[in-house]
Amino acid sequence: MAAVESKQAQQVFIRPDGKEKVTGVGRYTADLNLTGQVHAKFRYADHTHARITRIDASKARALAGVFAVLTHADVPEVRYGGMVQDRLMFAKDAVRFEGDIIAGVAALTPEIAAQAAALVEVDYEPLPAITDYESAMAPGAQLIHSDWESYGAEDMGRDGNVLGHSTVIRGDADAAMATADAVVSGRYVADASQGAPIEPRAIIAQWQGDKVTVWTSTQVPFAARTGVATVLELPESHVRVVVPLLGGGFGSKCDFHFEGHVAALARAARRPVKLVFSRHEEFIAPDHRREGMAVELETGVRKDGTIVARRARLVIDGGAYCGEGGFFAQMAAMHAIGPYQMENVSIDSYLVYSNNQPSSSIRAPTAPQACWAVEQHMDEVAAAIGMDPVELRRRTLIERGKASATGQIMDEIGIRETLEAAAEMIGYGQDLPDDEAIGVACGWWPSFGVNSGAYVKLNGDGSGTIITGAMESGTGAVMGLPILAAEVLGMKPEDFSILYQDTDAGPWDMGSSGSQTTFNNGRAVICAATEVREQLLDMAEKELEASRGDLEIADGVVRVIGSPDKSISIADLAGSGTPLLGKGSGDVPEAGPSDIASHCIGDLGLTAFLAPQLITHAAHVKVDRDTGVVRVLRFAAAHDSGKIVNRIGADGQVYGGVMMGIGQALTEGTTFDSEGRQINPHLLDYKLMTASDGPEIMIHWEEVVTPNAGPKGSKGVGEPPSVPTSGAVGNAIAAVIGRHVNQLPMTAERVWATSQENGQ
Amino acid sequence: MSATYLAAASVEEAVNALKGGARCVAGGTDIVVGHRQGKKPLPASIVAIHGIDALRGIAAAGAGLRLGALATHEEIESHAVVRERFTGLADASAIVGSRATRANGTIGGNVMNASPAMDTGAPLICLGATAVFQGPGGTRSIAVEDLFAGPGQTVASADELLIAVDLPAPALGTGSAYVRLEYRRQMEIAIVGVGAAVTIEGGKVTAARVAITALAPTIHRVVAAEAALVGTDGGRDAAAAAAAAAAAGSAPISDVRGSADYRRAMAAVMARRAIETAVARALGGQVSIPASTSTFAAV
Amino acid sequence: MKHPITLNVNGTPYSVDVATAQSLLYAVRDQLGLTGSKEGCDDSECGACMMLVDGRPTNSCSYLAVQADGAEITTVEGLGEGDELSPLQQVFLEEGGVQCGFCTPGMLIAATALLQANPSPTAEEIRIGVSGNLCRCTGYDGIVRAVLRVSREGASV
Repeated sequence: MAAVESKQAQQVFIRPDGKEKVTGVGRYTADLNLTGQVHAKFRYADHTHARITRIDASKARALAGVFAVLTHADVPEVRYGGMVQDRLMFAKDAVRFEGDIIAGVAALTPEIAAQAAALVEVDYEPLPAITDYESAMAPGAQLIHSDWESYGAEDMGRDGNVLGHSTVIRGDADAAMATADAVVSGRYVADASQGAPIEPRAIIAQWQGDKVTVWTSTQVPFAARTGVATVLELPESHVRVVVPLLGGGFGSKCDFHFEGHVAALARAARRPVKLVFSRHEEFIAPDHRREGMAVELETGVRKDGTIVARRARLVIDGGAYCGEGGFFAQMAAMHAIGPYQMENVSIDSYLVYSNNQPSSSIRAPTAPQACWAVEQHMDEVAAAIGMDPVELRRRTLIERGKASATGQIMDEIGIRETLEAAAEMIGYGQDLPDDEAIGVACGWWPSFGVNSGAYVKLNGDGSGTIITGAMESGTGAVMGLPILAAEVLGMKPEDFSILYQDTDAGPWDMGSSGSQTTFNNGRAVICAATEVREQLLDMAEKELEASRGDLEIADGVVRVIGSPDKSISIADLAGSGTPLLGKGSGDVPEAGPSDIASHCIGDLGLTAFLAPQLITHAAHVKVDRDTGVVRVLRFAAAHDSGKIVNRIGADGQVYGGVMMGIGQALTEGTTFDSEGRQINPHLLDYKLMTASDGPEIMIHWEEVVTPNAGPKGSKGVGEPPSVPTSGAVGNAIAAVIGRHVNQLPMTAERVWATSQENGQ
Repeated sequence: MSATYLAAASVEEAVNALKGGARCVAGGTDIVVGHRQGKKPLPASIVAIHGIDALRGIAAAGAGLRLGALATHEEIESHAVVRERFTGLADASAIVGSRATRANGTIGGNVMNASPAMDTGAPLICLGATAVFQGPGGTRSIAVEDLFAGPGQTVASADELLIAVDLPAPALGTGSAYVRLEYRRQMEIAIVGVGAAVTIEGGKVTAARVAITALAPTIHRVVAAEAALVGTDGGRDAAAAAAAAAAAGSAPISDVRGSADYRRAMAAVMARRAIETAVARALGGQVSIPASTSTFAAV
Repeated sequence: MKHPITLNVNGTPYSVDVATAQSLLYAVRDQLGLTGSKEGCDDSECGACMMLVDGRPTNSCSYLAVQADGAEITTVEGLGEGDELSPLQQVFLEEGGVQCGFCTPGMLIAATALLQANPSPTAEEIRIGVSGNLCRCTGYDGIVRAVLRVSREGASV
């Protein structure tokens, strides 16, 4: 059904960047070459945890064809990091994970650069490596950062290897637990996983005088610009970041990564320098992967399904550096509660350093793993009181107008409707063969209200240009902006070109992260277009000798309402020589208050969720009992993302997010050896789902027009489709094998082993 | 770094080059990947055989079939006679890599890479296939069963070119199958695979071969599993006993793809499915190709 | 050692010298400047580099350029007619088969090969046929729909 129904039936929306993508003429960063360019390679750490006692790059520098070799001694000693300043560009005194960079080389060919990188001599004193991140909290554990106290960010609850500590305390969980009819506890452990965009990252830097232009595959060009300016001690005006087409990111290309290294190399080499990652590097080097997590849950419930109390303890593997992951402890704590009503909660959530690859935002960071744990736990709670799992959710999900577990009043939310829609689409309750079952899971994710800006200008021929700081990672969010501008200006979306992904052109924007582009930049574009609209009306008032109240803009003209012959085209107004230029950012919406913030540790302002996106997923799976191999046959995704602005784009996020979620559920796990090296940093053993693994996916949008949200009452769309996916799959597996798999991904071997434990 | 390259136009030319120390490529995949990943240096001298027409195609050879060394997996899995009488081989060729792998990958390349995880080895052994080599001194045949010497190694000498794989006509009442453990439905590498060929006459198994893949340094037969089948009716109990013997005859390792315990258990599951499928086909039943797909979740 | 070869790419013959170890992907991207075909991995696991070589879908990252001497090669740049998109290219856009676009060139080649071999594939056959091409954005749904539509509308690929 949905799998073959043509999108034509809905709405044909051709992405403005579509033609260049299907013809192969579109340029991604690795497709660019500059005259005179030389090639960069990095020398990575030889240990996952060691003191560096000597670095000697002289042999590397002496190799013919080498233009520059840089170590920490050759760049300003600037410690950086968005929340915690714990990172140097090049390792100086210590290495802390396998992707730490000792040196960068620029040489005539990539082969010579690799050869030179290998010639850099490094002496180490190895230190004990901590890869079992829970043990990082043990008293006396080897410190990953001996000088952690100098890194700032005291409000995160930092202490030694504990990088962040957040609590959510409301009511009296201990006392309430004693009143429960049943208390259910469980422990769930999720492995790390990867964003794994199909485009490995690439960066080219070229200096012109004392200014540098960096072409890079980043999701966050403005953060990259700030990063380069910070580590090279330049004014931001001396750094221009341009993103050619971006080949996906899924969070892994958020934050500032390697642009500083390449810019520094280009300055030293006096040549443009190009860096292109191999797939192996794309796995091990970025300080960005989905965090491993251990979740312990305890829930007290009454026979009628009322949750009287929830206790939870979470330990999250932050890896060697904080990156942008500083908010993970609190975010995971919010997902340990979920979109349920409960009066008494006590959540302790720790983010810890380890010698594993650093964690940072990957599509809804912390949520899929925590949600997977909580939603399987909810099914166990239902079993303990003999209640159907959907019925338990029906009774406990937040009702419209009621308070969340943090005391935030939820006015316009459609979580209960998503539950019913998903259950109906999947055919919940139907008879199935005994190796098949349906599992259901619910989740949530906030929208992020941040500043964002755009300019809209009209050209002499009546066409328009949107100049935006927003970033198009593939989702179509930027490609959909003309729809919003066109509506305001009575024009057609195809009348607009978009100038984007150039920090010298558009106003600051957070980038392609936090599902925020339509939410915030959409507002900015509407605001900018509205300014232009006012300018058009000003001009038309004079031209048509009509008062403003009598004018309307539609179909490319400004006309007097009721007198269609009294009109002037937008092209004529725009062609008159008067500049028509609007700018906008709009008012940033803020989350309503929670009633707990004041007495929680490590509060970073996430105890209330702005315009929460609400999701129910239902998975119909078949389990090969003898092997543990699971196939997802059918999948229902019901989402409240508010009003949907671009249906084909929103659907695309769900199809892609669900498939990513199924991969995370079943096959995608990064495995570390005992020293924190990845064992499977390649696509044969880090298994993304193929087309043949894809189920039939059914989608329902519960279009709650949401106040205090994005354009037209919209919320974010991009991250939620991966949130409850693995929970739904896990519940379906458990319904077949009679026991919950408590490790993620739920690989064939783990499903088989769990099934064996259950004596099946 | 610098390597010589010859695109051979004939078998003789290729053999001459091999004699001079060249290494043979058909599709090139392994050599290019190994070189680019820095795992294996490029051979100093390469002879490409993809242009030798004499090595192409699948043809009747007596009552059996001759697969040219350049026969692709796609040609093999879609060949009517292979599907009908050498079904286990079709099961294997149908699941190698992706469609691109099957369109380019050849039986010769697959066999001579001698990977313990390659899919066509087990069914070839079970079907009694022989590898035909041309060397400086003429041709010789080596049973595929005797060909593999270790991971990436065969008993053929460096100046011998594999020119064909011969499949003898199976006895009447023979069915064969190859079943592999698959985490994904495509793009998999064998973690556990089992091939089986079973001949049934008058309700009794008169001959059986069982070979296991990716469970030891080489793909090999498990005689105890075969013995457990011969003389039985080939029913569930016999298949289970043979499967247990196949698992006992494996020497699995533990790595990121699975623990030794899991692999050993899966050896029994895959063996049972392969044997049951071979028996069903021997009895004239239709089990669709590839058997890995059609036996998914079979109980 | 360099070898003079002829690559017939999208109907145009190009004479180039290639090193023995050079992949077809490198030759087409770096020497011919046709960068539509992408490099997403280096071991035939992702399909972003896929080209047709004498009609066969081929991972060009793992194929020696010298072996393609004289072969007819089709890349994504050769699928349309001049400025006109092929039906498959057009429908990929209409059905949401393109997001970031990085897998798209290889995916279009795989789908083209599939439809040439089997003009009326089922959804299942399409999914098997493009399984060598990893896509992280679309969940494959729009891609499968697009191929189905082209086959139903009977447009020549």
